Amino acid sequence: MANQDFYQVLGVPRNADQDEIQRAYRKLARTYHPDVNSDPAAEDRFKEISEAYDVLSDPQTRRRYDAFGPDFRQVPEDVDPDEWRRRRAGAGAGQTRGGFQSGGSGRGDGFSFSGGDIDLEDLLGGVFGGRAGRRWGPIPGADQEAELEVTVEEAYRGARRTVALTGEGTRRSFEVTVPAGVTDGQRIRLAGQGGRGSDGAGNGDLYLVVRIAPHPRYRLDGRDLYVELRLAPWEAALGTSVPVDTPGGEVKVKVPGGTSSGRQIRLRGRGLPNPKGKAGDLFAEARIMVPTRLSHAERRLFEQLAAESDFDPRRQR
Amino acid sequence: MNYAIVRAARLSLEEFALLSGLHPDLIRRLVALGLIDADRDTAGELWFSRAEFGAVARVQRLRAGFALNYAAIGLVTDLLDRIAVLEAALRGQAARRPGR
Repeated sequence: MANQDFYQVLGVPRNADQDEIQRAYRKLARTYHPDVNSDPAAEDRFKEISEAYDVLSDPQTRRRYDAFGPDFRQVPEDVDPDEWRRRRAGAGAGQTRGGFQSGGSGRGDGFSFSGGDIDLEDLLGGVFGGRAGRRWGPIPGADQEAELEVTVEEAYRGARRTVALTGEGTRRSFEVTVPAGVTDGQRIRLAGQGGRGSDGAGNGDLYLVVRIAPHPRYRLDGRDLYVELRLAPWEAALGTSVPVDTPGGEVKVKVPGGTSSGRQIRLRGRGLPNPKGKAGDLFAEARIMVPTRLSHAERRLFEQLAAESDFDPRRQR
Repeated sequence: MNYAIVRAARLSLEEFALLSGLHPDLIRRLVALGLIDADRDTAGELWFSRAEFGAVARVQRLRAGFALNYAAIGLVTDLLDRIAVLEAALRGQAARRPGR
């Protein structure tokens, strides 16, 4: 992260003026601030943006960043950028950092500084560390939200899932138990896995919002499960018993005689289970299908039925 | 008979200030601006629920991130809450509509 170019992070040219930098930062902050954007990846982005702005908004630090690059914090305060440039140019081509050696050259003309790893985190104090002189103290992290898509079958039976969240250079994965009977929009809470708190304050929580994936055969409304039940005209007219696949296995649906398309046959308690009460129902929706091509015999029988019957489906009741 | 030790359901101003790391005067101001909820008893003392820690943290984050004044933060948090409710409703609607 420290190697990211701060100008690129803010999306401004290197010669941008302070107004432009400020504008770019404000716009990005409005998009990625953890309270505005609950996506876990947004936090890392916001951190980068804040860090870039911290450096570029202060003309002094910006000058040092321009001169010394990403490692500018390790160059001592009293080094003059122009002097440094001259010396680096003089140190010969090809040597990128030749003019400055960690630990110093031991000669009077070299700049010396103890390299060492300086933790940016220490300098910036986390996401909201802020500029020098503007410390906010410990601030707990924000809650975050991520989507967890589950199938209808998983919602019915419950499941164990490994959820991986990838941020900028970070990857976290969680073993999550999806409880049986979970509904669309329900939230699974992972305590302390949300946004990081600054200065030792507690982390926020991560909420996985359950999204039930569209299914080719099932439709869900809360815990009620709808499934299409295709019937031949004579089955619908005479009544029958049809096996129907449900997430819980095959069930027999008794279709009463005189069933028209659209009729819903309810199987109580055969929908999604409810850990805290009544299970949902299964609704088999009748849909009458006819053959696209009729055999001679079928045609004859339908013609006979048409001549015989006085049924008029369009008659006003 | 034994009783389980239960955390006090509500916190005094001093306890709340201590645990949130903010000055009691600032907490009082946040209450006055309607940024956090508190109950006032007959003696005029303020009492806080633990749920308000989240609200205080959000106020601090918004202030640090946007340099907003506290009155403006009130507007922002209200709008964020309303958006969250609308988004949840929208998601619910989309889920109920088949054949997406």
